[in-house]
Amino acid sequence: MSENLRPDDRELAQLPREIAPPRDLWPAISRAIRPAPRQRWPMALAAAASGALLAAALSWAILHNRPSSVPAPAQAALAGPAADLADPSYVAARAELEHSFHERLALLEPVTRARIEQSLLVIRNAQDDIRKALAADPASPVLQELLDSTRHDEIDLYEGVVRGTQPAISRT
Amino acid sequence: MMIQGLRAATAVLELAERDNGEPNAVVAAAIAGDLRAFERLYRQFAPTVYGLCLRLTGERTAAEDCTQETFVAAWRALPSFERRSRFATWLHRIAVNTVLNRRRRPSAIYEVATPGDAMPDAVDRAAGPPPVDLERAIAALPEGARQVLVLVGIYGYTHGEAAAMLGVAEGTCKAQLHRARGLIASAMGREVS
Repeated sequence: MSENLRPDDRELAQLPREIAPPRDLWPAISRAIRPAPRQRWPMALAAAASGALLAAALSWAILHNRPSSVPAPAQAALAGPAADLADPSYVAARAELEHSFHERLALLEPVTRARIEQSLLVIRNAQDDIRKALAADPASPVLQELLDSTRHDEIDLYEGVVRGTQPAISRT
Repeated sequence: MMIQGLRAATAVLELAERDNGEPNAVVAAAIAGDLRAFERLYRQFAPTVYGLCLRLTGERTAAEDCTQETFVAAWRALPSFERRSRFATWLHRIAVNTVLNRRRRPSAIYEVATPGDAMPDAVDRAAGPPPVDLERAIAALPEGARQVLVLVGIYGYTHGEAAAMLGVAEGTCKAQLHRARGLIASAMGREVS
């Protein structure tokens, strides 16, 4: 790399290139970079957002002006910003809804079904991603919020399909 | 997500294939988001980065801050590290940019030693050249001359490389080196050639 250096410059070139910092700077660097890991969060966020958009769009397309068919108690158990995942009523309501979802999904046109399954996959991938990030950073409120958000997206999607296919069930 | 995983795996393979004396596997792991790998890179390269920052700024606190900022910026920019250059060179570029950006901030005040500080208070010319330490003479150089002298003279970059890092013309770089040599020689009590 060196060029145009004269004999006098040898003295310069012999100066040490390495000088140890007077203190360990890593703790401060680590603090500065930990709150914003570079890859997982934005991906998870994007996936969650796209999942929510897909779910919302599909739900709207299926449900527009259709009456609700999800039982009121189940709706109450699943609603709310912080549903308790360990609450038996939540677990039962969710299982019931998921079961209905799979039943109703089979009634839809293959193209619509594929789109909904793709949407569900996006949401679940996002959840997996966020869970992995949470394992590394369990106290992160942002990640927890993201996970809650994707759970709501999942429930919304189930509800959308169940409500949207109710007339078809009635006709049979 | 799959694509990203694939990219990270490809990066690991590409870097593992290269052997230019750099910690390729560690760099690849850091690119993939491994914080421990990045800490290893910090441990390895911090002395060079701090040395560069210290000589460019001429002030310890500023050098510490710049070293810190360099590694934070490097972590954030790692996904864009294209491996066309050596990791050390890439890191040095970030360090130089950090120092220059910090210089441009209105609040940035470096306590760079002036020639008066670097020289003994009373110089007895008759007694021969003053006992001026080379490092102190470098620290006392004007900013532009010091930056070029540090990059070209100490860290061995070419004028083209140094000019690109500093955002100046190559001719300016050469002129600054000439000026720096003269000032150093003068400070060291040597004949200017």
